[in-house]
Amino acid sequence: MADRDVLAWTRRLLPPAALAVAAGLLVVVPLTVLARTALEQGLDVLLDAVGAASPAILASVWTSLAASALALLIGTGVAVLTERTDVPGRRGLRLAMLLAFIVPGYVAAMGWLSAYGPGGFLDDTLGLAAPALLGPLGVVVVMGVEASPIVYLIVVAGLATRAEPDLERAARASGAGPTETFRTITLPLLRPVIAGAGAIAFVLSVTSFGVPAVLGIPAGFSTMTTSIYRDLAFSSDPGSFASGVGLAVVLAVGAALLIVLTDRLMERRRTERSGAFSGPSGHIGTAPRGSVEHADGGSPRRWRALAAGTVAWLLVTLVVILPLLGLLVTALARAPGLAPLPSNWTLDNFREVLNAHTWEALANSVVLATGAAIGVIVLAGLAVLARRGHGAGLTGGLLGLTFALPGSTLAVAVLLAYGAALRDTLAIILIAYLAKFWALGYRPLAAGLDAIPADSYRAARMSGAGAWVTARTITLPLLRPMIVAGGLIVFMFGIHEVTMSSLLYGPGSSTLAVVVLNLQQYGDNGLTAALALILAVIVAVASLPLLGRTGVLGRVGWRR
Amino acid sequence: MTERPTVTTLAPAVSVRGAVVNYGDAAVIRGVDLEVARGETVALLGPSGSGKTTLLYAIAGFLPLVDGEILLDGRLASSSTSSTAPEQRPLAMVFQHYGLWPHLDAIDTVAYPLRRAGRTRSAARAEAAELLDQLHIGHLAARRPAELSGGEQQRVGLARALARHPSVYLLDEPTAHLDTVLKTGLQTELAARMHADGAAAIHATHDVDEALAVADRVVLLRDGGVVQVDKPRDVYARPVDEWAAGLTGPAAFIVGSVEAAGADGADGPGRYLVRPDWVRFGGSLPATVEDVRYRGTHTDYRLSTTLGPLVLREPGPARFRVGEQTDCRVERVWRMPTSR
Repeated sequence: MADRDVLAWTRRLLPPAALAVAAGLLVVVPLTVLARTALEQGLDVLLDAVGAASPAILASVWTSLAASALALLIGTGVAVLTERTDVPGRRGLRLAMLLAFIVPGYVAAMGWLSAYGPGGFLDDTLGLAAPALLGPLGVVVVMGVEASPIVYLIVVAGLATRAEPDLERAARASGAGPTETFRTITLPLLRPVIAGAGAIAFVLSVTSFGVPAVLGIPAGFSTMTTSIYRDLAFSSDPGSFASGVGLAVVLAVGAALLIVLTDRLMERRRTERSGAFSGPSGHIGTAPRGSVEHADGGSPRRWRALAAGTVAWLLVTLVVILPLLGLLVTALARAPGLAPLPSNWTLDNFREVLNAHTWEALANSVVLATGAAIGVIVLAGLAVLARRGHGAGLTGGLLGLTFALPGSTLAVAVLLAYGAALRDTLAIILIAYLAKFWALGYRPLAAGLDAIPADSYRAARMSGAGAWVTARTITLPLLRPMIVAGGLIVFMFGIHEVTMSSLLYGPGSSTLAVVVLNLQQYGDNGLTAALALILAVIVAVASLPLLGRTGVLGRVGWRR
Repeated sequence: MTERPTVTTLAPAVSVRGAVVNYGDAAVIRGVDLEVARGETVALLGPSGSGKTTLLYAIAGFLPLVDGEILLDGRLASSSTSSTAPEQRPLAMVFQHYGLWPHLDAIDTVAYPLRRAGRTRSAARAEAAELLDQLHIGHLAARRPAELSGGEQQRVGLARALARHPSVYLLDEPTAHLDTVLKTGLQTELAARMHADGAAAIHATHDVDEALAVADRVVLLRDGGVVQVDKPRDVYARPVDEWAAGLTGPAAFIVGSVEAAGADGADGPGRYLVRPDWVRFGGSLPATVEDVRYRGTHTDYRLSTTLGPLVLREPGPARFRVGEQTDCRVERVWRMPTSR
């Protein structure tokens, strides 16, 4: 009996202990070192440095506000179109949003440049170019487009869980027309969801490095993240170092405040939930999307649907498809400025860009992404196990905070804490990835676990299975899709990660994303486009198994 | 439409003709005919998946017809080519899972249809308050769904439907989630309110007791088709086939000739339905008690006889024990139609 007690205690205490050690090494130590380093600079030095960087802070705030407004507009609009109307081509719209989700921001930004920028694809063919793309306007537009899929996924999930079809049917049966139903029922029900999505879009934008790096740096337009990048490049200068550290702290504090605020919103959302389950019963609830609209298919409605569909498709073509096409044309062009005709096309750029250096970077990226995926699943599993004991809410909350922790801040903190021992190694990048992506794996896993009815464990125990057998035969098989999904998401993020790796890489440890970014800074558009496409294809292939699962992706940007 | 109002008032409240509803490629409702007169309550009785909710949604205009048509108050509402919007149909619906809006309190929920009908905010709220009072939930006016019990939510949903003053109520398992006491109370309430308005009602349920108790006529649905339409007593006493017999109450079947037993309805050799209340103790048929179930108001006995196994129901507590020998008689039988 005593042995069993010891075993039980080990079982109970091991996961939280391992979790505490991992959290300490990955998050607490780096952040403590960052805070200590910041204080060591002296408060006045720090304030001076941050004050000097205030234009960048201001730029970050206003571009992110504008970008999240744009993302809300696009994301919510498309969500309502695909989920609540019979607009033609809804499935295509949904896929386009997912495509925008998996294309990394800096690749999209390069795509915009090669489609609409000076010397871009439309410049060569039609003489149309938008020089303003390089600078704040381009940053706002591309960041907005970049954040809109996450808004889309959140609103779609919100439409499914908060605005159940029966609630809208009840409004129609009470005499409200489709527009009135949307205004008086659907929109009010979605308001907290939209607010939460807006906050997440803002955090994504304000911590985005790739887009302002591609579109801001060449135009001399600095945001917080690009300032940190520049400051660290000149970190031997004490002033730059203080500025980098100070900005890292400001960015982290700002993002954390916003996330806490969002949490409050979500908390209210939870208490406002309807007490009754009024979800779909059998096939009826999932019956023809927009069946409400279907029923009054008069021709004016059909025309309106057609018009809305056309506008949406035009938008998707402009912001998602043309930029990718632009990249392809640029990558294939024999020389810049030539008309995009097959006679001017060659694979030379692809051949040239796949040199030994790139292959090494590709290998690094794959190793890092795989390591991060496996590590994150193990860490997330620990967190899920530990959650069952004390401090369940705390685990979730802290993990959420680490995901909101800006990559730039995390990279600076990890560099300060482990740079002395691990500088220029893959290990230091992996530490940063694990800290950052931990929450990405945790969320689907925890949600999957929550979805398992407690009675299935009880039934297993009543059938003679012990705790471990139950875990192996019931829990694990039920969680497998979530484990796979979580791993794939982390792999995807790991392959296209650029914010942290661009701050942490050294000779021999650069990632594919860093090579793409550096190529672009050197100004070789053809090679950049070719490698960006290769990277986008790898990410797309990794995400293929996820495409069918909007639900899983929806949880990526979602705090539990 | 060419009908004049006078014609309209004579027309049935609901008339469904050959309705077909598909979900994807599969027909969920396959050629249903149904007529509901003004003031009449019709129960749709069938197991889950038989198409009750689908039929209600089609009548409400939430699902399109692939074939057939639906007329409400004599006006064409749905056909395979046209469909009146749900809000323009003269009906109200009570949803199975209540369908209450989480962001509105009880009084605003009930005022909602009144506002849509053009009342001012204060007039709508006054009328809503009155409806809530009539349903004994006036004191809950400021509560949101999350703060209401299941029975209270259902009453709010009912008040919202009443506020529509429709020609037809569509009730989708309105009492499915309530306990027996609440269920009986609400059934009475529903009947009183609806008949005060002179409105018709279609009441979907899988509960045979409820169907027999509330309806003027009962429609038996199986796999999206109508199996039988009859008065409750006939649905119980004269089922068209064994499936219908089993759905509408406890049933025992005996095969052969029952003239010797002297039962009403005996008509030569055949297959006969015997309901438990058609069998009495005392008589010429020897019986062995196989099982005894005391159910409070009555007791059910399973008997083994020379005619085959029978069920006997009798008011009061058990008089016999398992294994006892006794006699019984079959007072009535129903000869199962053989045409199928």
